[in-house]
Amino acid sequence: MADQAIGYVVGGGLKENLRVRLMVSPHEVQEGAFVVIESGDFLYYGLVTDLQLGATDPRFADEQSERRLPAALAQALHGQTLFTNLEVLPALMLERGPDPGAPTYADWLQRIGDQTPRPGPVKTVPAHHAEVRLAQEGDIAEIFGKPGARGNFVIGHTREQSHPVCVDLERLIQRSSGIFGATGTGKSFLTRVMLAGLIQYNKASALVFDMHNEYGFDDTASDTGLRVTGLRSKFAAKVRVVGLGAGTLIRDNTPDFHLEIAESDITTADIELLTRELDLKETTPTTLDALWSTFKRNWFGGFKAMNQDQVTTEDGKKVPASGSVAAWANASGVNVMAAEALHSKLRRLFQKPYIVEKPAADSIKQVIDALEAGQHVILSFGKYETDLDYLLVSNLLTRRIREAWEARTNAFRSSGKNEPRQLVIVLEEAHKLLNREMARQTTFATIARELRKYYVTLLIIDQRPSQIHDEVMSQLGTRISGWLGDDDDIHAVLSGLAGREALRGMLSRLEPKQEVLLLGWGVPMPLPLRSRRYDDAFWKELLGAKRTKEQNLKELGF
Amino acid sequence: MPARASSQSTAVEIGRVLRGGTAGFVAGCRVRELEAPQFGALVKVAQGEGYEVFGLIHDIHIDDDGLVRQLVTAENITPEVMADNRERRIVPIEMSVLTVGYRQGGQIQHALPPRPPLSLDVVQLCDDRDLRQFTERLGYLRLIVTAEEIPIGELVAAHIRQIQARRTDPGWKALASQEVITLLRDDYPTLMSVLGALGAEA
Repeated sequence: MADQAIGYVVGGGLKENLRVRLMVSPHEVQEGAFVVIESGDFLYYGLVTDLQLGATDPRFADEQSERRLPAALAQALHGQTLFTNLEVLPALMLERGPDPGAPTYADWLQRIGDQTPRPGPVKTVPAHHAEVRLAQEGDIAEIFGKPGARGNFVIGHTREQSHPVCVDLERLIQRSSGIFGATGTGKSFLTRVMLAGLIQYNKASALVFDMHNEYGFDDTASDTGLRVTGLRSKFAAKVRVVGLGAGTLIRDNTPDFHLEIAESDITTADIELLTRELDLKETTPTTLDALWSTFKRNWFGGFKAMNQDQVTTEDGKKVPASGSVAAWANASGVNVMAAEALHSKLRRLFQKPYIVEKPAADSIKQVIDALEAGQHVILSFGKYETDLDYLLVSNLLTRRIREAWEARTNAFRSSGKNEPRQLVIVLEEAHKLLNREMARQTTFATIARELRKYYVTLLIIDQRPSQIHDEVMSQLGTRISGWLGDDDDIHAVLSGLAGREALRGMLSRLEPKQEVLLLGWGVPMPLPLRSRRYDDAFWKELLGAKRTKEQNLKELGF
Repeated sequence: MPARASSQSTAVEIGRVLRGGTAGFVAGCRVRELEAPQFGALVKVAQGEGYEVFGLIHDIHIDDDGLVRQLVTAENITPEVMADNRERRIVPIEMSVLTVGYRQGGQIQHALPPRPPLSLDVVQLCDDRDLRQFTERLGYLRLIVTAEEIPIGELVAAHIRQIQARRTDPGWKALASQEVITLLRDDYPTLMSVLGALGAEA
């Protein structure tokens, strides 16, 4: 069916989508098919968002005429009275110019000069009866980029004809992005695929907050039981696996180094972020302020060292012991009960083995150094898998990293030397850090808002996009979403995009585990895909592909 | 059968024009001429200088006369009386013909003719050559399906069956059926009536 017309335009418009009369069996075209409409000097690229059965008269559809009429006659009747209309969302248009054989072609070439037309927003509609065909490999390459060109990474294939579809990694790392999908839809596999592409491309460093210890070392798939290759296994020289806490083993492997947090690294703002997790009261900020006033940077250690003891005086009265919380509270003018309650609640943190007074090494600096050196860091939480660990460590580390990148960026802007390396922070279970309540306080929301200003962007992975703050969602340029069942989640993924209603149904009808919808203002047009499989063939293609002489010459500018 | 063949073709004469107009006409014939014409048959009326009007027989009508009325009630009608009355009847058998085209200057047009046939013009059944030429294109079916007060379904079905039987190309019937569907797809009752008749023929 290559290059063959599948239908012709019969109506519609920019607001209500185009209607196309299908000339082939509806089984040959699916919702989400990428189609090309040829009309005059323009090519229109669109997405099939609906297929509707129609009849010239409803009675032809109502009656099973094949039972009354001979087969040949019934077929002839159905061919003319029953039809299928496609609803096509026009996404892009491209000026292709007159036919090269036409007399006006030379004029057109002269008019456009060196500026080869690029696909742009649709500003008009194709004519009636303009022919519609399924997009070919060349059409997809025109829109999404040619596979094999540097920076173009094949993320999946079209559903009907398996043409490769690329994302532009150069653009991807300059904006925050998101991977969404309900549980079991292959988010982790797709993230591995994306990370492998980013690492191989080597234009940005990645910091992965690996809450479930999935990405570094080899793992076993929870559903199939098959071995899943870890990124460290394939990129041993480029990837550093960092285990949280001294002596932590990740899937029985020893990480490259361990992350320990100095007590002095924890600010009072880090604790305020944990208000919900630790069930802190409204009095907490006042108490924390007083602690900061008393101990400055060592407030955490100072508070941890306090006790809640009492001593009995000679006259039999019980008074706070020296070094107790109450004694400090009385001395600092803080409500004793509030201070003692906070002390009790922070005990969960005081007991964390990875928070130490003096770490063996400045492991946060090690992480930053590795990232600046162009390596990629996977921070595995090991046995510390609670939300409390995740929220505290990821926010604290990101704050430190952003400070480092901000300083480097400012230095670069002053001196023009040593441009900071682009950094992508990969955040699992992102809604825990980017929900409406937290988003205002965490560093992540700031990063999402700043876009590429400080060379740090986010890749957020989540199954509940509706829980993520709208302001953050709207900053995600590229969104890759697997199947979603919840209406609110679908609404969140589509927020701020044109043609939401048309895409909504498509998202809820994706094949779980296999298909994703590529969308967002960072990609040329929305498109459903069969996502690339993360298997041996993937690694062979990614690592084993030899570059051609032509590719090398092209990159050198020849 | 006392057929009178014209000098140009092997067409069979079946009667003469009684009355008519551009959309159709009525021909009269004798009983012994009645063996040749059939409901749905393609006929033509030649008027000289290559001008011929083509039509389809959509009704064959036998009127009574005074003598028949008397005989109907009589007892013991002998075969001689019956034959005498039929062959010498004064009222002819009438055939209603729907005009579906004409030939002028050697070109067949599927449209109403510029002028109707005249009284007593000879009506002939088309021979195979005329039939092939006239039905090569299917534009004349439009004039059938838009006609009023005729049994369109039965007429189209009978006509298609007869033509297919005399044409050598087996796909003609399918093409004709397609054309009928195209013409009538916005008229559900008529189309289903035509297809019902066509299906019954199959």
